[in-house]
Amino acid sequence: MITKFEHFAASSLMGGSETLPRSNGDLLFKKLWEDRAMGLAITLSKKGHYEWESFRQELITSIAEWEASHCKDDPSWDYYERWLLALERIVIDSSIISSEEWDSKTKELLNEKCL
Amino acid sequence: MSERFKYVEDREMFSAARVKALEALLIEKGIISSEAVDKVIGYFETDMGPFNGAKVVARAWVDPEYKARLLKDTPAAVAEMNFPRGMTGVEGEEMKAVENTSDVHNLIVCTLCSCYPWPLLGLPPYWFKDPSFRARSVREPRAVLKEFGLELDDSVEVRVWDSSAQIRYFVLPERPAGTEGFTEEQLAALLTPEAMQGAAKVKVG
Repeated sequence: MITKFEHFAASSLMGGSETLPRSNGDLLFKKLWEDRAMGLAITLSKKGHYEWESFRQELITSIAEWEASHCKDDPSWDYYERWLLALERIVIDSSIISSEEWDSKTKELLNEKCL
Repeated sequence: MSERFKYVEDREMFSAARVKALEALLIEKGIISSEAVDKVIGYFETDMGPFNGAKVVARAWVDPEYKARLLKDTPAAVAEMNFPRGMTGVEGEEMKAVENTSDVHNLIVCTLCSCYPWPLLGLPPYWFKDPSFRARSVREPRAVLKEFGLELDDSVEVRVWDSSAQIRYFVLPERPAGTEGFTEEQLAALLTPEAMQGAAKVKVG
């Protein structure tokens, strides 16, 4: 069976707390940056910068960390914040870019207010 | 999140900047192309192309007699629609429409990837061919549907149908409220492949 990497990546997250949020079947993105973050994580793995399973483990870890320090129904829960944290860790650990250049680019964009 | 950014009040703006910075750096360094992420996201929003199944469902919603024929003899009722040759599936194959009601929700799974009637239902969504999706749908359909963002009342019976080379199922979803004045064409536009596999309900707008 020929499977697209995107299909494999999304399916492999199903069945646990790391499942991509959905609404009536469709992937659910509440903010503009969320689908970019989803797409970036998959794109980098698809290009071989890290194993998808490694990203999944980072995601499980970042969700578990939140759960360990919050009540289950805490309204500040944000799936894609945990996703972004997992993405930050794997990108830095895989030496794709350095945390310094990422930080400085982030500051630059915040100062320019061009978001 | 990094300690040094703890004073950034707007987490949202920070997250947005963080993601945008990453993509910009990756493109600057030539690690990804500027279209790479669009392509990946686009995969999840793929236009499923000609979607003849939607027309079958819309006809059944407006014509109770057609609906009765569709449920009784699905291949004959589909043939009535005069789709272009090759656009209803392999000739002679058995198809069966199963009806969702307020009491029963049907979910279609598939043992072999070859048994998906794609000319009728559009290209299979990425999750449909996943073996774990199928296994879990049989074992715990409500949990799987919940992951798809579809929570069913406890009173609703969930039936799982396993498509095979012998018989291929699709769901006749419930017509949504508020569509009384809709034309067949408008109704057909509401259908999604997910709805015809029972992983979603049909929604207006």
